[in-house]
Amino acid sequence: MQIVSRSMLFLAMLALSAAATARGIHYGAVAEPAVVECDQQHWRGRVEESRLCYANLLRAETPASIKAEAAWALNNPKQANEWFRTAMSETPDDHATKVRWGDLFAASHQYGEAMNIYREVLAEEPANAFALLGAATVLVGSFEDAADNYLQPILDGVVPDDGAYLGALLLIARVALENGDYDEAEASLALAEDVLAKHDWPPLELYALRASLDLLNDVADSRWTELSLAYNPYYGNIYATPAHFYVITRRYREAIEMYQKAVEIQPSLAAAHEQLGINLLRENRMSLAREHLERAYELDPFSPRSVNTLRLMDSFGNFRLVDDPPTVDGEVPIILRLHKDESAALAPYAIELTRDSIDVFTERYGFALREPVVIEMYPDHEDFAVRTAGMPGLGILGATFGYVIAMDSPSGRPSHQFQWGTTLWHEMAHVFTLEATDHLVPRWYSEGLSVFEEWRSGPNPGVRIPMSVYNAMKEDLFLPITELDEGFLRPTYENQVIVSYMQAGIVCDYIDREFGDGKLRELLYAYRDGLNTEEAIRSVLGVSPASFDETFAAFVDTEHGPVLAQLDRWHADQVRYNNAISEKDWATAIELAAGLIAILPQYVEPDSPYLAAAMAQRELGDNEAAINMMQTFWRNGGYDPVALRRYAEWLVEAGRSADAIDVLYSINLVDPLDHELHGNLGDLLLAAGRADEALREYEVAISLQPHDMATAWYRLAQAQYELGNVEQSQLNLLQALDVAPNFRPAQRLLLKLASNNNGQNP
Amino acid sequence: MTRLLLSIALLLSPMLAMAELRVVIVEGLAGEPTYSEQFDRQVAAIGRAAASVTGDEHIHILRGDDVSREAALQRIATAASGIGANDWFALFLVGHGSYNDYEYKFNIPGPDLTGEDIAAALDELPDSNQLLVNTSSASGAIAELVAADNRIVVLATRSGVERHATRFGNYFAEALSDTSADIDKNNMVSVTEAFGFAQRRVDDYFESNNQLATEHAAMSGTRGERLALARLGGARPAVVDTTLAGLLGDRDALNEEIEALRLSRDDMSATDYQSALLEKMLQLARIEDAIEARQEELDADR
Repeated sequence: MQIVSRSMLFLAMLALSAAATARGIHYGAVAEPAVVECDQQHWRGRVEESRLCYANLLRAETPASIKAEAAWALNNPKQANEWFRTAMSETPDDHATKVRWGDLFAASHQYGEAMNIYREVLAEEPANAFALLGAATVLVGSFEDAADNYLQPILDGVVPDDGAYLGALLLIARVALENGDYDEAEASLALAEDVLAKHDWPPLELYALRASLDLLNDVADSRWTELSLAYNPYYGNIYATPAHFYVITRRYREAIEMYQKAVEIQPSLAAAHEQLGINLLRENRMSLAREHLERAYELDPFSPRSVNTLRLMDSFGNFRLVDDPPTVDGEVPIILRLHKDESAALAPYAIELTRDSIDVFTERYGFALREPVVIEMYPDHEDFAVRTAGMPGLGILGATFGYVIAMDSPSGRPSHQFQWGTTLWHEMAHVFTLEATDHLVPRWYSEGLSVFEEWRSGPNPGVRIPMSVYNAMKEDLFLPITELDEGFLRPTYENQVIVSYMQAGIVCDYIDREFGDGKLRELLYAYRDGLNTEEAIRSVLGVSPASFDETFAAFVDTEHGPVLAQLDRWHADQVRYNNAISEKDWATAIELAAGLIAILPQYVEPDSPYLAAAMAQRELGDNEAAINMMQTFWRNGGYDPVALRRYAEWLVEAGRSADAIDVLYSINLVDPLDHELHGNLGDLLLAAGRADEALREYEVAISLQPHDMATAWYRLAQAQYELGNVEQSQLNLLQALDVAPNFRPAQRLLLKLASNNNGQNP
Repeated sequence: MTRLLLSIALLLSPMLAMAELRVVIVEGLAGEPTYSEQFDRQVAAIGRAAASVTGDEHIHILRGDDVSREAALQRIATAASGIGANDWFALFLVGHGSYNDYEYKFNIPGPDLTGEDIAAALDELPDSNQLLVNTSSASGAIAELVAADNRIVVLATRSGVERHATRFGNYFAEALSDTSADIDKNNMVSVTEAFGFAQRRVDDYFESNNQLATEHAAMSGTRGERLALARLGGARPAVVDTTLAGLLGDRDALNEEIEALRLSRDDMSATDYQSALLEKMLQLARIEDAIEARQEELDADR
């Protein structure tokens, strides 16, 4: 996964809270005996009896609050809402019912409304335990510390209520499992067990979390599953809850199996159908995914994930599948799902890059892919976000689910923010690290190898470290190796995820340089064999994690220490240098830029001193120095497409067309949807006698529907002519002249074709 | 009578080919030096372009102290005096506009020109083909008011609520001397080509600056591709050589045949069309070669 800002954790937790808020077990939040009697049957899996029981409550002369619970239990949230409204108008001070109304909103994914209700109750009754619990449950999905503020009074016993306390413990256990803190999860579950023993409440959620803990400890056949099925054979969450933990550890196939079991025993479990659909999509199993998503939508039409994902699938009609079959034994097919307006332009480069990555990674990691690689590129970033997480608002560029990659298309973001070629390379490395380890590779190592491969073998190689990461290094914020996953999963400061990516990349660089290339591969296979990071480091590298951290710190100090020592000066000089640029004091700007470059020669981000220094040199008429400056920028991995286009023009001016071709080719990996770029690159290639490459560029250019179609057709005709394809050249010329009959270059080539044909019409 | 240089498509109709173009350009109040400079530049570019396709006597520019409501309306009326039914009258309004949800105003010294003023002035002209180009902010407010069967209307905004100073005018003026605007490669920039160029540049501007577009240009009316607003490379010198004149006549006639062929494309098989097109294009290419050769001979003799 390549990230630009926030953690994935937010979405993972939101998914869980949504799944957990259907009318579940209320642990005493509803005290009405008539309702509880029906609930007891429901919790025991006596489906028909409980439905009859709830239906009777609805028919009988019962208070509105009871009818609301009954309607909700019968999966009629709209009717339940009306009854809650009636109940509150009749008994406005009935806080217990009001909290349940809030719970209904939360179960219907309307978290804002739910929070409003909880806050209203707490304003009048600050010690309402279930309002505190409801608010905490909503907020725990929003990645805010505020959840703790609501939970603490329950946990501290300030607000004594066994049911709310039990709910809080289960919530804490769930979050602890997500964060990999199994000790805390175990402690909470043990306390929860004690509370359950004192009451006649069903232990189903406890069993599901215990089964999840077993799963995370590699105990596949959990005894808790058996206990749960014995208690209630139709409790689907006994599979769906552990399945969620497979999802967040990226073991999608296993998750699918679990969700399938969940919906088999409880076909009405909307959240399981939804997750099953989303995860089937991750496996590219479209029809079955749609089937389950549609079922989820029928059961829970309020879920934004189902709706978003179904809408996305509907939009697939605007996408085109491009299949690149294997040409030699052992190759796997590549399937691209690209927007129809972009497919012709992107497919050639995406296929070439993917094939190259497969060659490099197959050899490097000793693993041959076994299934087709599916790559989807979304022009609308929010479509990609929905594809990845079911919800918009995701701050990442790409995601890999095994053999399926989803990512932003180059048009999905401004080109200065996004090197699509590098992102594809990064995600392809994930395909290998995930599949080679049966998805057991920890997050930090998978990301580390992907970043490292970007730097050393990617289409735009070079170590690119953002300034925020240098600042973090200076503040000594790198994590010990055994805790590096935390930086991805539970960031504690802004930018920590980015810092963790870079640290993981530097760790891989360190292992490669200090221990030898083969060790990176050995580590991967250690993870496949089930070792954790501590065991893998000891076993493969022969050192303790503490010793590793010590030598790694020394490596970082050697590699980056000189930079870190001058970081303050760098920042100060950058301000002076920007002032010099704005005052057009070119000589000072060049001098200051030279100082900045000396401190940090690899810094090629958009505010890199190389760029403005080159412009300043041009202003002073020193074109050669400007070209040299840009050359260093480019070779260090600089990718700003505007600057590189300018650089290519300078190279052409200087008679260095061959170099300009290389530069323009590299822009294709950043901004491939610019028809002018393809046209200009094609012209240079044609002039250099590389007509076959020129033809490809011209074909891409014309697929982008430039406004000047006459020139686009004419360029194609030229390339075809050079390749000896006279008939095709003539056809393209006529297409050009059909648009612009008086287009002289096209007329001349037409006459040339005619004269080559002995004066006859060609 | 100065001959209007028309796009290739226009050459189809001999009647239109002899049409005349009369141009009135009104520069409004700028408010700030930046806009003053921009409007001056736009007016100069439109004026230069007009001079390449029509006689100087048919180009009327009102700017600075010369501009008032009365002067503008009077100049429109006098410039079109005696205009023929096949001739063209073009009005360019360069400046700022405003719209208060009821009335559009083109900002000039003294009373502004209202949308009703502009529509009435054009409606009252003798029967002719008309072009209105209004590059001002909020110009979209007059779209319905000025629409007419015989009129091409180019507006910088699609409605009156797009009230920010526009960029469209700069790009429209730029198009009149930019070869990349000349999509059909006939060395002339038509209304449609200039509009398309400016529209693309406006889109590019907002996209590359990652800004929400505050203007969306609109064009209505037909035959925009038939009216040339600029000849790239300046006005064509008068042809006195009879050989060259004959070749130019042949070329014009062949262009008409090609246009007729293109219009009948749907009635032909693809193969027949291509075959016929190839024949015509080869003829046209050979005539162009001959024109170039003759011009070189004439240049050498000078």
